[in-house]
Amino acid sequence: MEEPTVKGTVTPLSSMFPVEDAQRAAKRVVDALSEKQQELNQVKEFIADNTNLIKLVQKLPEELHHDIMVPFGKAAFFPGRLIHTNEFLVLLGEGYYADRTSKQTVEILNRRGKALESQVNSIKAMMQDFQAEASFFDATANEAAEGLVEIREEYVEENSSERVSDPGSIKQRLSSFSEADNTNVEDEEYARMMSRLDELEQEELAAEVDNEVDEDNQNQGNTAKSDKEIYEDEEYARMMSRLDKFEQEELAAEIDNEVDEDNQGNAAKSDKESDEDERAITDFDQFSDQIAPDHNFRHSEELRSSKRPQRTKDKKTSEDFSNNFCRQQDLSDQSCTDLTVQAVTRDIVKSSNAEKASMLPEVKEKDGAVPSSKNEVSAQSSKPGIDNSEVSAQTSKPGFDIQKAFTGSVVEHTPKIQTSTWEQAEISSKPSKPVSRFKMQRR
Amino acid sequence: MLEFSGFRRNEMDNYRQEKVQKFEEFVDRRLKPDLVSAIAERDKVFEQQKIFSDLRRNIENLEKNSVTSLRTMVNLGSEVYMQADVPDTQRIFVDIGLGFHVEFTWSEALNFISQREERLAGQIEEYTRLIASIKAQIKLVYEGIRELLQLPAERSVQESFF
Repeated sequence: MEEPTVKGTVTPLSSMFPVEDAQRAAKRVVDALSEKQQELNQVKEFIADNTNLIKLVQKLPEELHHDIMVPFGKAAFFPGRLIHTNEFLVLLGEGYYADRTSKQTVEILNRRGKALESQVNSIKAMMQDFQAEASFFDATANEAAEGLVEIREEYVEENSSERVSDPGSIKQRLSSFSEADNTNVEDEEYARMMSRLDELEQEELAAEVDNEVDEDNQNQGNTAKSDKEIYEDEEYARMMSRLDKFEQEELAAEIDNEVDEDNQGNAAKSDKESDEDERAITDFDQFSDQIAPDHNFRHSEELRSSKRPQRTKDKKTSEDFSNNFCRQQDLSDQSCTDLTVQAVTRDIVKSSNAEKASMLPEVKEKDGAVPSSKNEVSAQSSKPGIDNSEVSAQTSKPGFDIQKAFTGSVVEHTPKIQTSTWEQAEISSKPSKPVSRFKMQRR
Repeated sequence: MLEFSGFRRNEMDNYRQEKVQKFEEFVDRRLKPDLVSAIAERDKVFEQQKIFSDLRRNIENLEKNSVTSLRTMVNLGSEVYMQADVPDTQRIFVDIGLGFHVEFTWSEALNFISQREERLAGQIEEYTRLIASIKAQIKLVYEGIRELLQLPAERSVQESFF
């Protein structure tokens, strides 16, 4: 402060950013911008083409054939007509083509349109960046041309004259101060850490106590750690009863095994069937086809006639939604009952999907009443009622005593548990949802 | 070359300097774009020639196999294809240019195509000549610039050329 020296520096902006350079940079950015604009126009053209094509594809199947000029090379045409107006051959990429119907083609084209839209968005974002850049360069060029100068000055704190006069002592002070501060901070931190440690230890202790209670659950492969202790006792009791039941069932199943190995899978499935969707049922049809062809016709007839008047799938899903709300709660006390079932059923369901694909034609042949298209099969059999016990009772009709005993035990479950098993099953075995065959194969 | 002219500015008068610049501009702004467009035009004609030779081959194929009806796939755009049926292949509509198509029989079509090919070959010849002349002009202007700059080494090359 004593000597009035020049503390800052003054640099004309034009010396740092020469006008021509700035202008050149701006021009380059503008060029890039116009390039992007062209790209954008091209993509927009694609989008227009795509929407036109979608309209065309939707319109073509309205008539059996259309008179057109069939292109023959690029310079010649034949008078001809489009035939098979609901069959399209669509390029999937990499030289792979797929035969699709009009509707499916429209779906593919819609997906392509979405991809194009996202491309447009990204290009637009890039263009915005370029625009900002261009305006910045322009502004810099203008400022440089106007002769703007940049003034830089070191910032010096002037609160106390002492600091300015004796920077050495400040340094010392600063360091000592910071040291003291550091120790303070360390102490505090240490205390906090220790208390946290204690907390964690206590938690662990509590968890161990819990574990002892839970141990039996874990023996059964129940990994659910319910923090709701209210459920625990109840859960345990129910679990034990379930365990007993399952032991009996397993015993029965083992006896059954000796009779027919397939039976067991089916028995386990019939438990699941009650809350699973149609697949298991159709599968059961097939199964009974093989084992008891005599029963088959009667059984499937009964199945269908009894199911039709029952609630439709929509209603079922709506109820599922309502179940979803209590699902979180349920999960903790269900999992003990579910998991044992799941372990068996999961594999079975998976295999049964594959089985179904291969066996469906067989069903068609044997059971003339089954509608011809597979979609219809699933649609019809997807009408299973809410009344699980009824379904399971039905499915157990083809006379196998052991099965009957088994499904009988299923009927005994409270409905709550059953719906939950259904949900669990749904989560665990997605392929058993009514998906198109195409998707199934792709999995 | 301009740099070099700058280097020897002491010996050169302004007039020469300007002249060289004019020549260079003529090459860059006039001759080179001309050359590019001529090459593009010739490529287009090449494409046409290929189309017609393909067509001729196809028609000859049809003739050889005496195909009377045809089933093909039509591209509806974006690589979506549909089957198309041609009940009668005897009559073919050939593009004769300017958006006109003429109904031909096979022999008529082949006759037309051979004439068309002849004409396209002539056009290609023409364009090739044009391109060669533009290239020659570019070379000539460059030689003129060299002469103006009085480059001895280049001159010797130039003399050996002409």
